[in-house]
Amino acid sequence: MKQKQTLTRRDFLRYSAMTGSAALLVACAPAAPAADGEAAPAAAADEAPAAEMSGPKQGGTMTWVGHQEVAGLSPAFMGPTVHWVMIINIQNPLIAIDEFNQRELVLAKSVDVSADGLTYTFQLHEGVLFHDGTELTADDVVYTYDYYRNPDNGAPIVGSFTGIGSVEAPDKYTVQVNMDNVNAASLASWATVPIVHSAYHAEVGEETYSTSPIGTGPYKLKEWRPAEFTELEAFDDHFRGRPNIDVLREDIVPEPSVRMIALQTGEADSAVWPLLVEDSIFLEEDPGFVNFRTLANSIKHFPLNNSIPQLAEKEVRQALMHALDRQRIIDELWNGAAQVSHSNLTPASPYHHTGLKQYDFDPQEAMALLDGAGWAAGGDGIRAKGDQKLSFTITTITGDQARRPIAELAQLMFADVGVDVQLEEAPVATILQGMREGTMDASLYNWTYGSAVEPDPFSTLHSSGGNNFAQLNNARMDQLIEEGLQVVSYEEREPYYHEIQEIFVEEQPVLNLQFDEWMNVFNARIKGLPEGPKNSSMYQQAYKWWIEE
Amino acid sequence: MLTYIARRILQGAIVIVLISVGTFVVIRLMPGDPTYLLLGEGEIRITQEQMEAIRARWGLDRPHHEQFFIWAWNLLRGDFGDSLIRKGIPVRQMIFEAIPVTAILNVTSLALALLVAIPAGIIAGVRRNSPFDYSTAVGSTLGVALPNFWLALMLIVLFALYVPRWLGDLPLVGRIPPFGLKSWQGYILPILVLTTEQMAVLTRVMRASTLEVLTQDYVRTAYAKGLPNTIVLVRHAVRNALLPVVTVIGFRIAFILSGTIVVETVFAIPGIGRLFTDSIFRLDYQVVQSLVVVLAVLVVAVNLLTDLTYAIIDPRIRIN
Amino acid sequence: MTAPESTALNQQLTATADRRSEWSQAWRRFRANRIAVGGLVVILLLALMAIFAPFISPYDPIDEIFRGMRGGSPTLAHPFGYDHLGRDLLSRVIFGTRVALLVGLLATGIAVTLGVVIGAVAGYLGSWEDTLISRVIDTLMAFPIIALLVVLAAVLGPSLVTTVVVIGMTGWARFARVVRADIMSLKATDFVTAARAVGVRDWRIIWRHLLPNVMGPIIVLATLGIGGIIILESALSFLGLGIRPPNPSWGGTLSDGRAFILRYPHIAFFPGLMIVITVLAFNFLGDGLRDALDPRERD
Repeated sequence: MKQKQTLTRRDFLRYSAMTGSAALLVACAPAAPAADGEAAPAAAADEAPAAEMSGPKQGGTMTWVGHQEVAGLSPAFMGPTVHWVMIINIQNPLIAIDEFNQRELVLAKSVDVSADGLTYTFQLHEGVLFHDGTELTADDVVYTYDYYRNPDNGAPIVGSFTGIGSVEAPDKYTVQVNMDNVNAASLASWATVPIVHSAYHAEVGEETYSTSPIGTGPYKLKEWRPAEFTELEAFDDHFRGRPNIDVLREDIVPEPSVRMIALQTGEADSAVWPLLVEDSIFLEEDPGFVNFRTLANSIKHFPLNNSIPQLAEKEVRQALMHALDRQRIIDELWNGAAQVSHSNLTPASPYHHTGLKQYDFDPQEAMALLDGAGWAAGGDGIRAKGDQKLSFTITTITGDQARRPIAELAQLMFADVGVDVQLEEAPVATILQGMREGTMDASLYNWTYGSAVEPDPFSTLHSSGGNNFAQLNNARMDQLIEEGLQVVSYEEREPYYHEIQEIFVEEQPVLNLQFDEWMNVFNARIKGLPEGPKNSSMYQQAYKWWIEE
Repeated sequence: MLTYIARRILQGAIVIVLISVGTFVVIRLMPGDPTYLLLGEGEIRITQEQMEAIRARWGLDRPHHEQFFIWAWNLLRGDFGDSLIRKGIPVRQMIFEAIPVTAILNVTSLALALLVAIPAGIIAGVRRNSPFDYSTAVGSTLGVALPNFWLALMLIVLFALYVPRWLGDLPLVGRIPPFGLKSWQGYILPILVLTTEQMAVLTRVMRASTLEVLTQDYVRTAYAKGLPNTIVLVRHAVRNALLPVVTVIGFRIAFILSGTIVVETVFAIPGIGRLFTDSIFRLDYQVVQSLVVVLAVLVVAVNLLTDLTYAIIDPRIRIN
Repeated sequence: MTAPESTALNQQLTATADRRSEWSQAWRRFRANRIAVGGLVVILLLALMAIFAPFISPYDPIDEIFRGMRGGSPTLAHPFGYDHLGRDLLSRVIFGTRVALLVGLLATGIAVTLGVVIGAVAGYLGSWEDTLISRVIDTLMAFPIIALLVVLAAVLGPSLVTTVVVIGMTGWARFARVVRADIMSLKATDFVTAARAVGVRDWRIIWRHLLPNVMGPIIVLATLGIGGIIILESALSFLGLGIRPPNPSWGGTLSDGRAFILRYPHIAFFPGLMIVITVLAFNFLGDGLRDALDPRERD
């Protein structure tokens, strides 16, 4: 990795809308009220030396609120945000991607990638201690990678390790990963998986480990009640120095308005899962709080099942794009805190294609396209072609109060051009299966089709991708995705990803709406927070922060 | 009497078997595959083989009847299996950690509710059409009419957010937290919500049955015999008036679940209501099945007790 | 009434009371109960509101979105304010009356009918029929209805019919249980024994002598039930089994406003208020009916 290249934690790519970077947006957002000195985040941007005791204070409890239970604390659970914020503070990865989208060496002292892109060599820090006092060695890394990439162990993160052939430990502090295939996206994924205590994990097994993990992180597990709270306490011998705040706690509060009240009353210091946009903006105006706005990588979109007759023609999907007043959705339902998406890649990506076809709100054009494709207006106002009505169901996540209004407004916009949309709700597990297997018509989701740093959309746009919700099967698209992963340099990759974006906007396999601004609110008593972060992964830096009442 | 109890227990066992089969079928009718949740919502580059491995690991690849018998057999031995979602945690532990939480909330609120409802209902019934009767009627009707999640949210907004802002901390109670059971103050609002509904229901039933009983012949006869009012009330009226209340309490045990789901979700309380809905939404089959069976056992036991209580309160019902 | 027991028994047995005068007496008693009449008036008003919703509501409840007015506060022109999309909340609430009344009345009707018939049969016949029915009742009552509802939502697809039928078909057990217990208790009384001895047929005994005696608690339960069901409809909307958008229902609007309770409290407040008013009205009416219809309270 000689060239300056930013990597993203695999998790960013994965979990809905976690990360993003858009300097321009952050600048125009009224971020932290700078007028009030107390509220402005204390400067600690780069290397806040935690050892320096002059500024930071020791002690206190910092409480975060999450929306779903923390089902386990092993690396296998690192997908969802509510889990990740705890897991990453208990265990450390070799490499992290920080909140500025920059690569940060954690357990690794250095990384070396061979010219052919097939060998990764990591030098580990020496003297890194686990919570039980034993020292971290290369064997722990080998064990962790080998355990979680073994399909027989059934770890959900097994997909992160695709492409790895073998992992070796030439000496106590060196790890060598040999790849079977070049995979430009892979370092960002598996290198960010936290390392477990190998001897302990081997002894107790994954299941027990996930209830009582031992890592090298700044915090060690104190008490864990999955549906109620997770409480961590400072690890005195952490290799980067003891964290300032004594206790780190995540409370699980499912009700959105109650999370908001918890922040307002000081019961919680931050919401790891964003509050309602309205609530975040309300707190942003309060000098007692700091709000970070970061542009999400994921698109808020309606995935469409391209294999059902109503939605199989690209003219229909293009017409649906024209029928949507996307700026209106952002203005009226999202408080303007989002950008219309004109591509599958965020504008923050260097691969973002600016010369793409754009779908402006144009109901006339939409109707012309539908007429042209043979979908004639019927007596009941719903278009049809033969016996097939132009009608489909959008299934939203049960209780997803924040996003469902978008589907309701879209339903009315589609009705204006003669397209009938039914709305249903279903649990996430039902939607994931329905969309992945093509038994559901459409949904409303935040999902990445390539991120700010890694443009690869394999899982969502490749015909064999695990999240090919659109059931897209485009030979040229598949070819471009496969070949794009085989090349490493920016210049060489660009043509592939530009063409992918061109196909995306021509085919419109999904209806892309907007890139959200992700909002993370903190109580201003938390000091040492980053300034102008570009993604919401700041929670892994909690060891640097301190509390000032 | 003993054979009666034995027979009822046998019948209860049949009910429990029916319920466990029913639940097993019903939850598998739901579209969705928990494997997808095991994978997380993330971007997954995973092959079909890897997927199968995960399914095999959790026994989801077996035929349904086989899954049922494995689960039922383990259940009989006291092994409820492992949660599909919270891996490494036995379902039994999840359930037995959640039950006390819900039980404390409900028993407390039921006790509080009875404490108010029984005397209020009797007085309202006896002093029919008095101002007390009217205010009890309005109060209890209102209590029933309030949707509980609405009430819960309103109370949180009021007591956790605005009251401390306007008045500072409350006397005796101090600051009421918006959620959780970290301190005893956390119990105040959930119990208040649960009690409101129970109290309203029970007061209404108690009043209605008091009125009912007061017109019964034996009460009239007792009055006619010239017995003092209080003795008639306590000896004849109240004892019989309690019958419907016992019925209502009996069936409300089964309603604990639906009643507490909302309260536990709003107040972020890790009881069985939340465990149940969370598990349904995540298709955590093991938890839902086992939880339903545990609750069924509870309800069957309470039903039995209700019937026995009937027999004690109302000797006219012969047990045979 | 202080007539001797034998006279009362005689009256019950012969049952010659003129039906028409019984009803007119009941009506007279009901009319005297101001709260109950008030409840009835409110319900009639609600019914009128439901029937004439398109003429009463000032705006279109579905299509008329006021741009930029999402969650807007009440004004003179929009006394209930705007909903979570910017539609007139009053219009949506007026149309929501239809769903509330339909679901409440139909589902309760199904549940009470089933419950009374089944409970009476079980309580009166006893023996194996009772055992069988009791087990079904136990099973239904021990089975978490919520689980059934969620599954049915997923399998059948949410709709008005699903909501009504599911609530009705699963809600009868509580009525059956009360009826059965009361009938069992009454069966042991002298007048039934006497009636049987005289050779009165079973169904007649149930219909003429037993059912009237258990209607008190059933009416109380049923009126509470209507309210409970209207509230359940809102719970169902929350679970995704409610009335599908864009069609307005109180429960749906209430849960639309649930997340916005701090920013736009009126969205959840007004449908909640309507639910409270409606449930109150039904309960007052039920109490009045109970007092009026109870044959043992004649004076």
